Amino acid sequence: MTKEPNLKEIERKTYMSYHQDGLLDIFAGVYILGFGLGIFMDVIWDFGMGVIIIPGGLIAMALPMWIAAKRKITMPRIGFVKFGPGGGTSKLMAIFIGLAVAGLGFFSVFTLATVQGGSRQWLDLIFQNGMLIVGFGSLAVCILFGYSMGLKRLYAYGLLAMITLVIGHFTGIFFAYILLALGTTVMATGVALLISFVKKYPLKGDKAIAE
Amino acid sequence: MAQLYVVQSADFTFLLHQTEMTPGNLSAHLSKLEDAGYVEVTKEFLERKPHTALALTKKGREAFKEYRRKVKQFVEKLPE
Repeated sequence: MTKEPNLKEIERKTYMSYHQDGLLDIFAGVYILGFGLGIFMDVIWDFGMGVIIIPGGLIAMALPMWIAAKRKITMPRIGFVKFGPGGGTSKLMAIFIGLAVAGLGFFSVFTLATVQGGSRQWLDLIFQNGMLIVGFGSLAVCILFGYSMGLKRLYAYGLLAMITLVIGHFTGIFFAYILLALGTTVMATGVALLISFVKKYPLKGDKAIAE
Repeated sequence: MAQLYVVQSADFTFLLHQTEMTPGNLSAHLSKLEDAGYVEVTKEFLERKPHTALALTKKGREAFKEYRRKVKQFVEKLPE
């Protein structure tokens, strides 16, 4: 029977097919690991700027590496697609920009308050509940990305981050250990997804990309 | 056509995976759509390999919109 094509479902399926390769998880996992390692270096070895240098360096390297990985691994296997204006990529970019602006705003307010000797009580409250703030913030960010990208596993990551950070807050586990554990979990999930993706879509010589 | 409608362009391999059709079947569909002026084929080089991008033309998009409108109208007229 003829039925009206569900364009939203087709668009969602198209967009999701580009994120079933696990690369997103691997990059996110490495970034969380880098952040944890940075804190570890600063606190344990008194390195100084590790918490800025390592995640900053990873961000700078992430985009070119992401594009190269997509070209070498994903595209030859499932083909190439260009999303139009207003499509998945633009939606994701809008969220990225929104989060970056919100983060920059929060950072500016926080820095201004610190430099101008803002309410010490207010700052202490943030530092004392840092893990709770990061935990609930991670859950919110994961829900936002999970919903807009249609990736349900991001909800699980958000929930895991929130639970471990809340436990860490009340038990006094060192923040860096939690980040290292979370990063390893996310990265391992990504590697497992990548292995299953490569097995599901084996390379068919040059034909795969040259059809 | 629905698959090409939601993207700017896609290649044959991508459409093959998304539609789950056989290569011969998909190729026949695309040839007919190209002959009707609904799909345009662009040959380019990607990673130094020949690559064929497929996209709906303006005429193709209009035709698909019209098709959707007609199907919707038909479904609405059906009794409960």
